[in-house]
Amino acid sequence: MASSFSFGSYFPGESPLHRLDARTKLLCGVAFIVVLLASKSPAQLGLVALFTVALYAIGRIPPVKAAKSLAPLMAIVVIVALLNLFVQQGGAVLAQLGPLRISEGGVAACAFMACRLTLMMLGMSLITLTTMTLDLTEAVEKLLAPLARVGLPAHELGMIMGIALRFMPQFAFELTSIYRAQISRGAALEASPVKGVRMVNSIIVPLFTSAFRHAETLSAAMDARCYHGGAGRTRLHPLHFAARDAVAAGVMAALAAALFALGIM
Amino acid sequence: MIDIEHIRFTYDGQRFALNDVSAHVGAGEFVCVLGGNGSGKSTLAKHVNALLLPDEGRVTVDGLDTAQAENLYLIRSNAGMVFQNPDDQLVASLVEDDVAFGPENLGLPSPEIAARVYRALREVGLVGFERHETHALSGGQKQRVAIAGVLAMQPKVLVLDEASAMLDPRGRAGLMRVCRELNEQGMTIVMITHFMEEAALADRVIVLDGGRVALSGTPEEVLTRADVLAPLNLEVPFACKLSRALEARGVDVPVCVSEDALVEELGKQAVACGVREGASVDAGADEQAAPPSVEQPVVISFRNVSYTYDAPLAKQQKKRAKKDRKTASAANACDAASATDAAPTPNPDAPKWGNSPDAAWALRDVTLDVREGEFLGIAGHTGSGKSTLIQHMNGILQPSAGRVEVCGADVSDKRAATAVRAKVGVVFQYPEHQLFADTVYNDVAFGPRNLGLMFEEVDARVHEALTRVGLDADELAAKSPFELSGGQQRRVAFAGVLAMRPQILVLDEPVAGLDPAARRDFLNLIRGLHEQGLTVVMVSHCMDDLAALCDRIAVMKEGTLLREGAPREVFLHEDVLRAVGLGVPAAQHVANRLRAEGLPLDDGVLYGEETLANAVAHALAPKEAQ
Repeated sequence: MASSFSFGSYFPGESPLHRLDARTKLLCGVAFIVVLLASKSPAQLGLVALFTVALYAIGRIPPVKAAKSLAPLMAIVVIVALLNLFVQQGGAVLAQLGPLRISEGGVAACAFMACRLTLMMLGMSLITLTTMTLDLTEAVEKLLAPLARVGLPAHELGMIMGIALRFMPQFAFELTSIYRAQISRGAALEASPVKGVRMVNSIIVPLFTSAFRHAETLSAAMDARCYHGGAGRTRLHPLHFAARDAVAAGVMAALAAALFALGIM
Repeated sequence: MIDIEHIRFTYDGQRFALNDVSAHVGAGEFVCVLGGNGSGKSTLAKHVNALLLPDEGRVTVDGLDTAQAENLYLIRSNAGMVFQNPDDQLVASLVEDDVAFGPENLGLPSPEIAARVYRALREVGLVGFERHETHALSGGQKQRVAIAGVLAMQPKVLVLDEASAMLDPRGRAGLMRVCRELNEQGMTIVMITHFMEEAALADRVIVLDGGRVALSGTPEEVLTRADVLAPLNLEVPFACKLSRALEARGVDVPVCVSEDALVEELGKQAVACGVREGASVDAGADEQAAPPSVEQPVVISFRNVSYTYDAPLAKQQKKRAKKDRKTASAANACDAASATDAAPTPNPDAPKWGNSPDAAWALRDVTLDVREGEFLGIAGHTGSGKSTLIQHMNGILQPSAGRVEVCGADVSDKRAATAVRAKVGVVFQYPEHQLFADTVYNDVAFGPRNLGLMFEEVDARVHEALTRVGLDADELAAKSPFELSGGQQRRVAFAGVLAMRPQILVLDEPVAGLDPAARRDFLNLIRGLHEQGLTVVMVSHCMDDLAALCDRIAVMKEGTLLREGAPREVFLHEDVLRAVGLGVPAAQHVANRLRAEGLPLDDGVLYGEETLANAVAHALAPKEAQ
């Protein structure tokens, strides 16, 4: 049902993290991933973990909410960790079943990988938890803007993302009603392959026609409101850097330096 | 303000959508443009803000020629346009971002945009909605956001292209009120519509037909010309129909287009001829005496049905109901008692009108029967649970609490639900949006094929269904449904449901978004299907349609059943219906107003156009004649 549909996992709040410029958050997110990938020792991971927990505290994200936003991504973590468990070898063999062997090295690698990935996911979901989707799309647009000179349509990409997000709940709603209408006419997915294909067809085609219909009116409506591309466009809430963005960058740099120092020791 | 001089326009180079149209709209005027489907009225609207340019002739807005490219953005910001479908003209996910879209395109500084957004939202009465998501608003609210988006560009002209066509009566009234207020503040308004009651409120009316101006003038001059309007698939307003009917009965009234004027005039006459107190007339009361047939067997029964879209809550409810049933049987208590215990209690914090999107219960403790062969109407404001209710009728939705039985089978049993779908045909809102096949034939055959019928049987049913909806099977079967006109597409979609040979036909707003002529055709079609023996359940927010067609009417309010009964029983209580944002049929509404003016009209009678005219004529007739 469309009414229960909500995109992203934005958690409304007024914390310093919420107020940070979306571009800063995106760039810090990238830096965070790089730093994590460069971390090789458990001590380094421990430091990053402390840092992440501190950030969640600053963002005033309740632990339950954090766990919920993480849950759907845990499957990836589990798969990668299991792969490491069997593929990485070294040290004493702990268990063996046919060709499958688990060694001490494997266990260590598995634990390390699981922690690293979990931290990465936590970092990323912190960005979506504290940033409105619209600000994110604008940040992407702004960060890609320098590439416009080499022909990348940065503004258009941002606009496409924004409109896609706007129409997501609309299509979710239409999908439900088309699905119910075809069910009412006896369609059933599981009945037989022929019937199943016919049913999928009977849902996809109306959805596409509706998308085209929306696109036609939407483009006229945008025209009527003087839309003419990104040139000369201003914003209601323009993104702007503030002192706290510099602080955030500084904190990120400090983390990187601390990790580097730990690595040398 | 707007000058249209002898313009012609064609989409395909063969047929002129506009053929030599000239019109002038002065600054501060409120002009309505009327016309049936295909009369060129939307094409004309698009010329006003340069979305289309005339092939011949000239359009100037505020002295600027639309054909000159350098004027484009000035004209578009001067002449704002609001479109028909509330769902596809909003650009942004949040209300304030959408309203800001126009000024952003004009390159205004941010503080100026913020000020304009605030002012525009205040004009349409949506202050406080800045951070709301646009998709969660009602249709009427969405249209008001669209108007605010246009107002933020500070236009001199507002063009509304059938902006009210897809709204419910309450949304339409709100939209009209906003337009009137803007007009009073000096805004020029051009409103494209096919609602006569809206046109009656305009300063001037232009009627288009086949790309030409058929009539033009004040509402009094234009809307009273039933002779010209009828062939154009337009209807005259109810006040006008009634005053003509009275004239024919010898009452000396001017032909009025607005209800207010007519009521006032008749009130004066009532005082003048000194109508006696309490001399009520029972005109046509015997006509409505036929009681509903109670002996017919029940085909669909709802028993204490509640439904929630909130899955965890539903689970909890089911568990509780089961536990209650256990304890009840253990204590040897009666089943009904536990059912009432389990039913959720109404929420005191519920919004005044309509369910808020996150309201937990879409249906609350509904008990209702549909009897074989009857025509049941379901009325209710947007979000009152009408659509949720009818989706229980063929087991698409299953009650979170309570029991729905169709032809004796409980729909919460999956196998029974599948069988029920062959008996109950549900036509959803805007059913033409569900067409998908390459040919009309294949689309209609979708249902019968899903039933696993043989080729000959499928073929027979497709032909039968197309004939029943008044389409020529031989002519249309091989065509693509997407080539057809809107009205024909809807008929094909109807046929797709009829091909299942249902015994019960459930219709959700079957005439929404159609013009008056198509509406009439469809209602006749539905009436015909009912007369052929189908049980019909129809959801509508047009009270006149419900009064004209239904044997019985159920009124929904915030997920509960507010009232049910014969049209007479339901519509006699205008105040009750008004309190939930619904109206009564036009004739009844006028009758109530006239009674308040002192005319001796029986308050126990549901009036139609004819019976009301008779009663009023009788009351106002000179005393010596009585």
